[in-house]
Amino acid sequence: MVREGRGGHLKRLNLCMPITLYLANDTSARAAGADRLAAAWADVPDVHVVRTSSRGAFFLEPLVERDGPEGRVLWPRAKPDDLARIRNGAGGISLAEVPFLAQQQRAVFARFGTAQPLSLEEYRANGGWRGWERANNLPPEAIIAEMKSSGLRGRGGAAFPVWHKWEIARRTSADQKYVVANADEGDAGTYCDRMIMEGEPFRLIEGMLICAKAVGADRGYIYCRWEYPAAAATMQAAIAEVERTGMLTIDKHPFRLEVFRGAGSYVCGEETALLSSLEGGRGMVKVRPPYPAVAGLHGKPTVVSNVLTFGTVVEIMARGADWHAALGTVGSKGLIALQLGGRIRQPGLVEIPFGATLAEVLERFGGGMAEGSRFKAVQVGGPLGSLFPESQLHIPLCFDTFNEAGAVLGHGGIVVFDDQTDMVELARHYMTFTADESCGKCTPCRIGSVRARELLERIEGGSGTAGDLDLLADLGDTMKATSLCAHGGRAPYPILTAIEHFGDEFRRRLPSNGPNGTADRRGRNVP
Amino acid sequence: MNVTINGQPVQAEPGETIYAVATRLGIAIPSLCASVHLSPYGSCRLCLGEIAGLKGLHTTCSLPARDGMIVNTESEQLTKHRRNLIELYLSERAESEPLGELSDLAKRYGVTQVRYASGARRAAVRDESNPFFVFDNQRCISCARCVRACDEIQPAFAISMVKAGFSIRPAWGATGLNSQDGVASSTCVSCGACVKECPTGALTEKTILEGGRPTNRVRTICAYCGVGCTLEAGVRDGRVVSMVPADDGPSNQGHACLKGRFGWTYNYAEDRVRTPLLRDGTGWKVIGWEQALNLIARSFSRIKEQSGPDALAAISSSRGTNEENYLFGKFIRCVMGTNHIDNCARVCHSATVTGMMETLGASAATNSIRDLSDAKLLLVVGANPTESHPVLGARLLQLAHRGIPLLVIDPRRTEIARAATIHLQLRPGTNVALLNGFGHVIASEGLLNRTFIEERTEGVEDWLATVKEYPPESVERLTGVPAEQIRLAARMYATSGASLSVHGLGVTEHRWGSHGVMALCDLALATGNIGRPGTGINPLRGQNNVQGASDSGCLPTHFVGYQLLDDPIAAARHESLTGRPLPSRRGMKIPDMWDAALDRRLKGLWIIGYDVAQTDPNLKKVREALSRLEFLVVQDLFVSQTAKFAHLLLPSASFLEKEGTFTNLERRIQRIRKAVDPPDGILPDWQVACEVSTRMGFPMRYGHPSEIMDEIAALSPMLAGVSYARLEQPQALQWPVPDKEHPGTSLMHRERFARGKGKFVAVDYLAPGEQASEEYPFVLVTGRLLEHYNCGAQTRRTDIVKLVNSDVLEMHPDDMARLGFNKDQLVRLVSARSSAVMPVSSSDRVRPGELFTTFHFPDTDVNSLLSSSADESSKCPEYKVSTVRIEPVDLENLDPTDDAKRRVVRSRIKAPSERAVAWVAGDG
Repeated sequence: MVREGRGGHLKRLNLCMPITLYLANDTSARAAGADRLAAAWADVPDVHVVRTSSRGAFFLEPLVERDGPEGRVLWPRAKPDDLARIRNGAGGISLAEVPFLAQQQRAVFARFGTAQPLSLEEYRANGGWRGWERANNLPPEAIIAEMKSSGLRGRGGAAFPVWHKWEIARRTSADQKYVVANADEGDAGTYCDRMIMEGEPFRLIEGMLICAKAVGADRGYIYCRWEYPAAAATMQAAIAEVERTGMLTIDKHPFRLEVFRGAGSYVCGEETALLSSLEGGRGMVKVRPPYPAVAGLHGKPTVVSNVLTFGTVVEIMARGADWHAALGTVGSKGLIALQLGGRIRQPGLVEIPFGATLAEVLERFGGGMAEGSRFKAVQVGGPLGSLFPESQLHIPLCFDTFNEAGAVLGHGGIVVFDDQTDMVELARHYMTFTADESCGKCTPCRIGSVRARELLERIEGGSGTAGDLDLLADLGDTMKATSLCAHGGRAPYPILTAIEHFGDEFRRRLPSNGPNGTADRRGRNVP
Repeated sequence: MNVTINGQPVQAEPGETIYAVATRLGIAIPSLCASVHLSPYGSCRLCLGEIAGLKGLHTTCSLPARDGMIVNTESEQLTKHRRNLIELYLSERAESEPLGELSDLAKRYGVTQVRYASGARRAAVRDESNPFFVFDNQRCISCARCVRACDEIQPAFAISMVKAGFSIRPAWGATGLNSQDGVASSTCVSCGACVKECPTGALTEKTILEGGRPTNRVRTICAYCGVGCTLEAGVRDGRVVSMVPADDGPSNQGHACLKGRFGWTYNYAEDRVRTPLLRDGTGWKVIGWEQALNLIARSFSRIKEQSGPDALAAISSSRGTNEENYLFGKFIRCVMGTNHIDNCARVCHSATVTGMMETLGASAATNSIRDLSDAKLLLVVGANPTESHPVLGARLLQLAHRGIPLLVIDPRRTEIARAATIHLQLRPGTNVALLNGFGHVIASEGLLNRTFIEERTEGVEDWLATVKEYPPESVERLTGVPAEQIRLAARMYATSGASLSVHGLGVTEHRWGSHGVMALCDLALATGNIGRPGTGINPLRGQNNVQGASDSGCLPTHFVGYQLLDDPIAAARHESLTGRPLPSRRGMKIPDMWDAALDRRLKGLWIIGYDVAQTDPNLKKVREALSRLEFLVVQDLFVSQTAKFAHLLLPSASFLEKEGTFTNLERRIQRIRKAVDPPDGILPDWQVACEVSTRMGFPMRYGHPSEIMDEIAALSPMLAGVSYARLEQPQALQWPVPDKEHPGTSLMHRERFARGKGKFVAVDYLAPGEQASEEYPFVLVTGRLLEHYNCGAQTRRTDIVKLVNSDVLEMHPDDMARLGFNKDQLVRLVSARSSAVMPVSSSDRVRPGELFTTFHFPDTDVNSLLSSSADESSKCPEYKVSTVRIEPVDLENLDPTDDAKRRVVRSRIKAPSERAVAWVAGDG
């Protein structure tokens, strides 16, 4: 064997064919070290590193791939020194050997990991742009009928039937209409929108074109959260590329699409706050009605949809509504893109039909708990999602079952907590998040979140009372029922589900008997 | 639409929210952040209701009513949530005084306890930088009603919500985020809408903080401008402590401006005249009422005997009531047997009177204020409504923001001009040319309304022949307005479907003012933009009762209700009611009175509530005339400039201290009501007239002003159906009211014009009285600022002087640079008549070669500069065009008694570059 090492590869130069290695340039992959690999191999003359989208199996990153006779060969968690091995083709595995990937039923994410994000040629060659080509030859009503048959419900969290929103916008007459992609993706633990923007930007453009045609819009915005600079830059480059080819048109009329970067506000993921921000104002939630589909950006009919929703629209137009409607459950058709994170072995993107249970997902795809961890709870749907203890993992992942359980699928984020997690601290953390990100318009969230945080801080610090827990429940009821948007409306859920399932942790923190006996009375009288 | 609210079936109008329906019908739904004047916000959540068929709870303040909707706003769960929400509000501040509506709700819902132990509290931010109100963040609930009021009603956009989450609060201007004088640095115009909207008293009037909350409220009408806002005087312990606009005021609908809202404290000024004063050298001697009244009667009788009745005249007050004005007219006609009575309409809208009488046969607004909302295009000619008629100006801005096209014709780039779709910035004095230019475009492009012209007008041929000579290119040369703009604007006016015109003193106060009015009326006749909702010719009458003063017969040329002096029916009625004949010979107009006084033909003059010696033009002449009178009686609230020439000064009761009526610019006769007693037994002016008349042998006795109104109604067909009983309804009555059953007239000339057919009067452009010359190269326009009212007699005696305390000369920055002047430097204006010293300021509202200033401060003596150039027919003075030169002032040579150099200039006028720098630097 030729000796490995720095100079080794130079010796091999004359003996080997140039090789192409595929490496994701997705931000998570880069965080895992992909850039270090790329930098280490940059000067190797016969090694051509191609940056691609990520497969979303983040436990495998940095993942190096080569083309083999039967498809791609994978080297998970590669290091710079692995180059020789990789060059020899030794130690690689096939896709089929990665159950995490093999057991998924990918459609939106089917091609992730294979192509260069900014190559429109590759995108089209691999099957992209078909959805738009088909939609472009259909009248708007037909496109919307397709959406209706597909049963597609929005993926941002509200799960509103997509066709209905588009139909309202189509039917509202105005001299200007807009399509807006909600790329604010604020939930910690979610990343599928980022993956799409960084990995298959043309998919988002394609989905927005389809929508624009259906509703009669000729302008679009991608509201991208500030914290996704790479996604914003990639989208801008992709837009420029499509414009350059003259393909960013609808019925020969240019479709003006721009990227707009947010400024760090979580609540700008809520559509009316997003539109306010897009107009140059404060990101504050507005009362609805009017709904944006009727009067949105600058008072004009506007469809605001999540990035993944647009991504799915592309598949529906390309493969047909029936394909989509045949997957999933009665109330939740199609596929869901779950983003696993937390203390599991295999964090990453899982695209499967609706209907699998939480337990199945955590086991089959999450691969069980990380080394040395024991399962305690899992939060689904972002920082305002409900906590599920071990006893409740049999719940199927669909909109309606979750709704009945007072929970939400949200944007598909799934974060797993282990037995090292202090539930009181976790609850306090989430309520602090709610208070910090509150826009401040409505009283139950503006003041309620601070009062709830203070109660939890006291409990956490050991000076809480049983009365505080009752008060939290009462306040939580009011926040749920009366808040202007889901920020305040969902805020009590992590806390109240934590108390429900881990109540002992809370009660243990209360001093055994206050000076006055059982429940201390706090507060003051009103003059 | 049929809607059920809490089991009660109700009718909803299209577009109404559930909350609006409920409020209209008196069904109480709790709320703190909702207001019928403002767009819904959704902050307090108290108004939530259950809607059958919809999940969850919905804010009734924002939910549009739909046919068949079933709403429930009362339930156990809703009560529980409301209590929790109220408790949250209470928890964010320490225990303190009552919090207005929040405290009321706490009582109503039995929230007697706050269960939260001490936690985060609202920041202790307090802004006292505005003279009239205070903002206290600790009483605030962040409902943003103030922000919305400032954005939607005024709109001044002075307030924003700053910070996010728990700490969110309103802040003013660019500095309000970090300082406590944000209000003063902002675009706030002190209209007080925010104070009115605030439900908790976080915004409170300083007068209430000092004087306490009112214990009763008296509904009355503002005594400043012709809009005639309905205000409620708040009274406590016999003193007025607040003036709050009434939501159901027909002309203002809950809005007001800083003058009516806060500028009433002159009522308690130290220097109010409290007793009759007799001239004693250069000073005064206090005398009793008996003695004073007898002296007037004796003196007038003597003059009449010795020199004949033409040696006496009266100038009545357009700020006094209709009843008072009528009685002064009655006095002159019945006691003197002449028509030598006039009022200040002479110097403002007299040209409107002559112009509209000739073309339409009636000289008041043809439509009403509410027509603004029906118009599809608004034309503002020679008026500055956001400063002179602010509540109307606010409505115009709201409409412009909503996309209604707005055309403004004005040499100055005023606030309304800035908001305009097209600002036709013409040279001063060229109105007729521009309006004829419009006519040319309308005629030559086939935009005439032939049907209307045929059926409703006469005389169009002459007009067509005249406007043919005014092609836009020629008009451009004369007026400076680009031809393309003229075309565009004319087309817009002619084709909008409903074009409404308002005009002001920028049309009338010219040598050819009547012509300007006629040219404007001609356009309305040519396009059929009159006699329908949303259209018309609408002069913006200035004073609170200038319309009424003329209506009541205080004119040398007409009797009550504009009846001709030689009308036999009017004369018969007059004689039968008074026992005296109606004098048929026309009397002296005010300028005639000055001429007569200079000749010593006029020996006695009675001036009520009008400061001619500050506000008339060519003040040197006026003052000389006054000084030659043998006996001058002045009735006023204060020792005015005119009073300095008086032999006898009588005190007056203010509008807060008497009963009567004012007629506003839309012909609406509205009741003023006595809120407090006048000091020291001052008699209201109408009683003074009665006393003097009785002592002169013509007894006049009325128990109450309503009897005077009954008499007016009996004498005038136009007002025949008016009575105090009928004026009790909030919308009062708009004349003509021909009989007791008639509901009043909001729209005039619907089927026929007052004179039958509308008459086209063709007029040609004629040059103004003065043109710029080498000796006097600048053209001076005089006018008003928002903050002060005319001669400032009232506003200078309020805290408004903390905002503006000097007349300022506005000059274009290029001229400033060319002449080497610095901001606030004192300069001298010199005209052919006189000179005046004042500070100069760079302004983007005027163009090079043009100047603007105001006449609010007597020390500046601006009107002495002006000539006697006046409208030929109406004698309306040419305040709007004078020529002057500017000289620097040598401070050493300044008259030591002139306090000009000590005056601190604080006004809102800023040059464009200054505006930008100030914004960046954060000082507004």
